[in-house]
Amino acid sequence: MSDEKLRKAEVADLVGVIERMAGELSLAEEPSRFIAALEGDAAPAPPGPAPSR
Amino acid sequence: MSELTSIAAAAAAIRARKLSPVEATRECLARIERLDARLRAFITVDADGALAAARRLEAEAGRSAHGALHGVPLALKDLCAVHGMPTSCGTGNPDYFRAERDCTVATRLVTAGAIILGKLNMTELAMGAFGDNPHHGHARNPWNPERCSGGSSSGSGVAVAAGLALGAIGTDTGGSIRLPAGCCGVTGLKPTYGRVSRAGAMALSWSNDHLGPMARSAQDCALMLQVIAGADPLDATASLRAVPDYLAGLEAPIAGIRLGVPENFFFQGVDPEMVAAVRAAAVTLGSLGAEVREIRLPDPQVMNDVTQIISRSESAAIHAGPMRERPADLAAFARGRIELGLQVPAFDYLQALRLRARLARAFAREVWSEVDALALPVIPEPAPPLAAALEGSLEEITARQGRFSRLTRPFNGWGLPALALPCGFSRAGLPLAFQLVGRPFDEAAVLRLGHAYQRATDWHARAPEG
Repeated sequence: MSDEKLRKAEVADLVGVIERMAGELSLAEEPSRFIAALEGDAAPAPPGPAPSR
Repeated sequence: MSELTSIAAAAAAIRARKLSPVEATRECLARIERLDARLRAFITVDADGALAAARRLEAEAGRSAHGALHGVPLALKDLCAVHGMPTSCGTGNPDYFRAERDCTVATRLVTAGAIILGKLNMTELAMGAFGDNPHHGHARNPWNPERCSGGSSSGSGVAVAAGLALGAIGTDTGGSIRLPAGCCGVTGLKPTYGRVSRAGAMALSWSNDHLGPMARSAQDCALMLQVIAGADPLDATASLRAVPDYLAGLEAPIAGIRLGVPENFFFQGVDPEMVAAVRAAAVTLGSLGAEVREIRLPDPQVMNDVTQIISRSESAAIHAGPMRERPADLAAFARGRIELGLQVPAFDYLQALRLRARLARAFAREVWSEVDALALPVIPEPAPPLAAALEGSLEEITARQGRFSRLTRPFNGWGLPALALPCGFSRAGLPLAFQLVGRPFDEAAVLRLGHAYQRATDWHARAPEG
């Protein structure tokens, strides 16, 4: 198989997984919810020191 | 000089005037001079600039408040922009990356008194797990030069392990801090996504890039993270959350911390010596008071696939222009990787970003209700032979890299803090390593666990001959 065909096959494998799972996404699910998930799930920050810089 | 075994010891000795910044810098430069022709950790050594900075800091002694890293010699991966030094990003073009301002992380380190020795070798464009470089020479593992140093922050791992610098900055898009830390037997922290500014560092994948410290211990990583973490108006993805006192929490007991050891994925197909060492590390943490339990994690392979799609698309968007304008800057492998990213449809890239958000929420819901942190392998085997790692076609090497980074990459997708640290040596004398993973923005917990482990063991204190 040529390099170009191998590349396409490899990407097709990855894309296939994404497309199968993406069928379950609701209209409200946006990329920005990743940051919201990180900030929302963080443990509350204890008081920090004065910056040393 | 025994003070030069850690950042903490060197900073304390400098504060106590038992060690001068010039002495510390000269010692590191002498080691670079002696060892780096063989190790290839550095792309640029700024001996004159480092000594001038050291003399300036020495002259300031007693005249002004010292920063936390006053007089401590460090080095930066060669994708961090620093005025007066080229930034090749591991390519054949010394000026591949130019930024309007210095990298925020470099500025913060210098403001805290650190001395920048130079810029460190790396896999070209940070695209690779093994530490090879076709333009600057392969960064050599100081434990065995025929074995991989780990990538992409290969020079950072090598420089710290060989004592050429007391600490280094690496970047991690799929494991690029933790893989060289694991291969070279040093400690490296990939912080939470957004904890450390990415401004002034070459991007490989905006959504997955993390900058973080590499040093000899969790304590030294805490010292560096304290300086570099926090909001930055130059990076909109840098979190506005307050930075806690990482050092104050280090000595707290770990009793009661629920530590999960994954029962799925992370031990499958992993070298038996590595498995035994990681499980022994969990037992050690249990003996120190952590409540160790097995846990089943949401399928990490799905996050691996999602993260690969995002990284490939974004790296192609970032680097295809320079590749087309100056193809000779890049070797065939980097060009091939960029071409791979050009094959990903925008539709699938965007679906991957949406799925990532869903997977991150699901992970938080299912995992953090059961445990407070995770302990698991960081590399699937001790540093493999470099020659064998680089054999074959682009696709074969890419697949091999994917397998080698399969234990680290999911945590880039989940955005979680992950500390890699040594936990033994193989029969062949190569470092074994594990990673501690925590909740978002809970670097304090993984550093505390890592510090407790390193107070009970001495794997991190061992150094290669030389």
